[in-house]
Amino acid sequence: MSQTNSGKHSQASEAKKAISLPISRVRLIMKSSPDVSSINQDALFLTTKATELFVQHLALTSFNNRSQTEANTLNYSDLAKTAEESDTFHFLTDILPKKILAQDYLKSLEQMQDEDSDF
Amino acid sequence: MAVKMDGDSSTTDASQLGMTGEYMASSHYVLHPQDDDGEENMNDHEDGGTKENYREQDIYLPIANVARIMKNAVPQTGKIAKDAKECVQECVSEFISFITSEASERCHQEKRKTINGEDILFAMSTLGFDMYVDPLKLYLQKFREAMKGEKGMPGVAVGESLGEDLTDDGFANPLPAGIITADGQQQNVMVYTTTAYPQIPTVQQIQFS
Repeated sequence: MSQTNSGKHSQASEAKKAISLPISRVRLIMKSSPDVSSINQDALFLTTKATELFVQHLALTSFNNRSQTEANTLNYSDLAKTAEESDTFHFLTDILPKKILAQDYLKSLEQMQDEDSDF
Repeated sequence: MAVKMDGDSSTTDASQLGMTGEYMASSHYVLHPQDDDGEENMNDHEDGGTKENYREQDIYLPIANVARIMKNAVPQTGKIAKDAKECVQECVSEFISFITSEASERCHQEKRKTINGEDILFAMSTLGFDMYVDPLKLYLQKFREAMKGEKGMPGVAVGESLGEDLTDDGFANPLPAGIITADGQQQNVMVYTTTAYPQIPTVQQIQFS
């Protein structure tokens, strides 16, 4: 079965359009992992695509779980909440600490120091 | 309890990489404004609020791309706060590293040097992202088919003979080369340069595992 040139063209350009993230940057990030020597093209493509899926997944899950449902806005605390409550996104808890007010932090610091009484 | 606090952006790596600030989200810590000025020294990072401990380079995907994907994922009326965008940008790098380390480990265990597609898919499955695996396989298939049609790479098992015209040093300017094979089928092939697909800096052999 023969295919016209334009048919192949649009397939190829669709494949390109299918990726909305810069593959070279993804590659950079992958290479910054220790002990990574080389990455084949498939792996690179899959990771880039997976990253898109991840962003969609994280954004939507957090949006639906947001604490302030009236606001219609996704904010940082929604993401932190999702990371804590979800198994899938739990690996993010280290980089998504919950924000607290400085005065509360300082108070709890003082409390800890008092309790220590090693001073 | 971990805390995010105001600090300088650590972008020493930005100059090394020659990247502009817009691509580098700072490792920002946000202190909710109080009477205290940022006198608090950020040196005691023993709380897990920092990632400098275990990642030397903070490389991120461009925030515009990330934000666009987020915007399209949530309902149309939904909005996304700026700190949420920046945050997801960081999460993304974390995700990529997460998958890559796992894939790399498997690769090493099997005494291989190059991380391939299977390693990535396996890593996703192991790490709780197996819901991505099937859609990804589909995308990969489409991608391969599309690239096959464009490049007609020698060594790629196409199933039809493309003739001897295509050699490694035949990659000059893109030109359509219609080839009629022995059984009378016309196979249209584009002789292709890597620059035409700028996203992938080097052309690597597609490995069929």
